[in-house]
This record gives sequence, structure tokens and C-alpha cells, in this order.
Amino acid sequence: MISMQRARSLLFLSLVAATTTLSLEARASADVAKGGDVFAEECAECHSVREGKNKKGPSMFGVVGRKAATVPDASYSDALKGSGLTWTPDKLDAYLAAPKKFVPGGKMKYDGLAGAAERASLLAYLTTLR
Amino acid sequence: MKTSNSGQPGRLFHAWRAGLSMLAGLGILAAAPSAHAVPSFARQTGADCAACHVGAFGPQLTPYGIKFKLGGYTETDGKDGKVPLSAMLVGSYTQTKKNQADRPADNASVNKNLAFDEASLFLAGRLSEKIGAFIQATYDGVGRSTALDQMDIRAAHTFDLAGRETIVGLSLNNNPGVQDPFNTMPVWGFPYTASALAFGMGGAGTMINGGLEQRVTGLSAYTFWNNLLYAEIGTYRSLSPAMQSKFGLGRADDPGRLGGGTTYWRLAAFQDLKKQAFNVGVFGLNTSLQPDRNAPERNKFSDLGIDASYQFLGTRKHVGTVNTSYIRERQTRDAWLAAGEAAERKGRINEFKLNGSYHYDQTWGATIGRFLTTGTADATLYAPGNGDFSFAKGSPNSSGYLLQADWTPWGKETSWNAPWANLRLGAQYTMFTKFNGAKNDYDGNGRNAKDNNTLFLFAWTTF
Repeated sequence: MISMQRARSLLFLSLVAATTTLSLEARASADVAKGGDVFAEECAECHSVREGKNKKGPSMFGVVGRKAATVPDASYSDALKGSGLTWTPDKLDAYLAAPKKFVPGGKMKYDGLAGAAERASLLAYLTTLR
Repeated sequence: MKTSNSGQPGRLFHAWRAGLSMLAGLGILAAAPSAHAVPSFARQTGADCAACHVGAFGPQLTPYGIKFKLGGYTETDGKDGKVPLSAMLVGSYTQTKKNQADRPADNASVNKNLAFDEASLFLAGRLSEKIGAFIQATYDGVGRSTALDQMDIRAAHTFDLAGRETIVGLSLNNNPGVQDPFNTMPVWGFPYTASALAFGMGGAGTMINGGLEQRVTGLSAYTFWNNLLYAEIGTYRSLSPAMQSKFGLGRADDPGRLGGGTTYWRLAAFQDLKKQAFNVGVFGLNTSLQPDRNAPERNKFSDLGIDASYQFLGTRKHVGTVNTSYIRERQTRDAWLAAGEAAERKGRINEFKLNGSYHYDQTWGATIGRFLTTGTADATLYAPGNGDFSFAKGSPNSSGYLLQADWTPWGKETSWNAPWANLRLGAQYTMFTKFNGAKNDYDGNGRNAKDNNTLFLFAWTTF
């Protein structure tokens, strides 16, 4: 039989766990929402999030985990085509921080997103594009 | 539609034809409104109209649109086979507070006019890797004629200069300022469309405000360095009357022969911070005009302008803009003096404009503007006895406010039939606090400035 004190402890721990889970989910959701705003502010003029819709830059649908320069009908620099990159979150983070430094000779006309928190939010949002 | 951004009505053209050649120098050589939203650019780039234009409809450019223009209209989504053609239709209803004394056009009434303003065809887009064009031919539904309208053919090259992106380019165009990428020059400033059958923003203006449009050809060289500094210099030549006739412009409105030393120049600093953007600049036009090609006398015009604009862009859900410009023109009127069309050899005219806009969801827009034209008096140049367009006390002064509300249902990436279907419906109201020299009785016949207040409802579509 569980003592009253132990039951209270279990209940407390359960509440903490539930609250933490909800908090993490809320934070993740907030990050994704914030990332959507960052995308609208910084990226949407040149990139669509719709599958198959290329603008000046390729569609961002499914970008996380994708091999670089492989979206059909999109226009890429020779530098990116020959980079051998796969857009893992860490590679994307480095690229978004300083595109011209990360892929010299690339043609994306973007100076980079300096804020690590903004990049994290943006990556959280890009991860949802599937 | 024979109005410029200053909204000078077509009736002034008829007055011109009647012999008021001095109006050429007053910058009221009216021409089509700068009503440009060109879907062929969107089809070429894959971008939505809202990427380049505030409120998802032209012509007010976003930073992205500014760079597209400076890049020579050549950017693409990488796919070939795009046809650089677009079309535009504008219809409107115009109502003034008090009936006009005369019909504002041959086929119009003295008030409450429904009009098919214009139909335009554009050759607009990339012609080669480094050459692009924006060429407009317009059927003027009020004047019932077809003519070459705005033209800007560009060659642009982008390269790295000491690690900084640099664009150098050339613009072959037919209107000083049409090649400008910002939203403050008279060609591209608010209002972006106006009634051809009302009073514009008064009866006088500067030369750079439409005084030469379509009647000249110019070539300018420009550079845009590090997305920061813009510089341009160019010159213009007048078209011969025969060439004006070939372009459908007619010989009757020939402004005369332009002096050989005509100079157009522009300097601006620009900052694109993605969530917001701003620019400040100066510009100028120095020219002389021989209104009677058979007489040696010339009028000289020296225009100097300063301008600034700010855009809050954010996530593009709420977009706000502020644009302002001030132009000061010095005139030396030897030709008008010799012809008895001016009493003073020297004179000045100044134009101030300030406007702010807000757009919600790139769909619902509201704009408020202030305009103020002032100048030195000349009892002959700004004469009474021209009906509703008479001047009081020899003064060119006019002032007032502009209000506009508009609805642009499409033009976004997910809009119906994007980017082919584009529409703006708008209501614009012009309130005069002074017209041609006076608030009250400016025509000596009891007409007040506020009698010219104008309601202009328009439907504007491009595809």
C-alpha cells in the first residue's frame, strides 16, 4: 500500500512532468511561430514554403535533411551544386549565419541572420515544412 | 488617361493647344498616370506582386522591388520561356464638389463622369541576361488616342567591388525620373492614379514633375554600391515634332527643343533592414527649353529636390510607409518674356509632398497625403480669365490634402489565379485649401478652392 506521503510525492512529480512537457511543447510551438515570422521577414520574398513553388530561390518545403541544390527546376550556383552539402540543422544554421562565407561563390543575395535565437526559431519552423 | 502624378487634367492640354505654350515650362505637360503593376515581372521571377510592391499592387516599391529594378528587370526564377508582356485597364468615376464651368474633355460632362481611362500594353521583363525593359503603350480613353507611354530600357551588370556587391547600369528612358527606384520622385509618387477629368493638384508644377514626359529621350548611367549608395547622372534630348507624331503623342503639344546641356542627376543612401527600410536623397534637373523652335529665345529651368522615405515591413502583415519630397525650381523665362507670356524674367516654383500609408494583410490600404505648391507671382504667366483654371493675384500657389482607401484582393502568393489576376479598387478624395493663388474666389467669378474638391473612384486591373 502506498503511503499518503509517497502518493503526494508521486502526484507532485507527475504534475511537474506534465507541466514541463506542456511548457516544452508551448515553447516549441512558440519557436515555430516565431520562426514563421522570421521567415516572413527575412526569406519569403525569394523562397516559397509550398512544395514545387520556386521563386528566385528554391522552395523551402522539405529543406531540412535535403541534399543541397536538388529541387527540380530551381536555379543554383555551381558552387552550391558542387558543395556536396546536405541541409542538416547544423549545416543550415551555419549557412544562414553567413551564406557567402559558408558557400563561397553561392548566389543567394543575403548577408545572413546574426541572431542565434532567431536562427533557432527559423530552423524550428523549417523543420515543420513537410 | 492624360494626367500625371500631379494629376493635371487633360483640359490643360486643350488649353495648351489653344496657345498657352508657357504651360510647358510650368510642368503641366500632363501624361498618363504612373499606374504600373506589371504581372509579367511576377511571372518572370516567380515572386508574388506583394514582394515588389507595397499593398500587393504597383507602383510603390519595396526594397526587393527597388533591387529588381536596379538589376535591370532581369532576375528570374531560372525558368526560360517567359513572355514579357502585360496589360492594364483603368476605369473611374469622378465627381467634383461643384460643377466645372466647361466640360473637362470633349466626351465628358461638367460633373459626375464615368470614364474608361486607359488600356495599356507593356513589354516588361528580361530581354537577355543583362538587359531588361519596361515599355508601355497606352490607349487614352479620355483623349481617345494611343501613344507611347513610359519607357525604361536597362542594361545592368552586378559584380563584387572589394567584397561589396556593386551594380552598374544604363537606362534609356523617356521621362526624367521614370528610371528612379524610390517612391518619392514625381513620376512614382502618390497618388499613383488620379482623375483625368478634374483639377489635379493645381495648375502649376515643376519641370521635373511631368514637364517633359514622353517628349524626350534620355540616357543615364547609374551605380548602386553595397546595397547602400545610389548615384546616377544622365542627359536628355527632345524628340522632333515628327518623332512625337510617330509615337502617337501629336505635334500640337510639343514642348519645344531641349537645350544640349540638359543634366539629370541623383544621389541617395538606402538601407534595407528587412523588417524596415529607408532612404534619403537629392536629385536635380537642369535644362533649357526653346518653346518656339523657330525663335532663338530659351527658358531655363533648374530643379533641385530632396527626398526621404521610410517603410515598416515587419512580417508584411502590417506595412506602413512615409514618403516626402521637396523640389525647388528656378526659372529664367527669356522665351516667355519675349513672347509676352510672362511679366517677370526670373521666378521660382516649389513643390512639397508628404504622404503616409498603411496596408493590412497586403490587401486593405489607406493613404493620406499633403501637397503644397508655392512660387513667385507673375501676373502674365499665372493669368486670370481661363475659366476654372484661372489664377488669382498672379500666384501659382495651390495646396490641399489627399485621402485614399483601397482594396487589393489578390497579388499574394496564394491568391486566386496568381500572378495573372490583379485588381485594385479605390476611393480617393482631394481636398483643396488653396487653388491657383487663393482660397476663395480664385477665378474672380466666385469659385472657391474647395469647389474643386474631387471624389475619384477607380477600378484598376492588370494581367
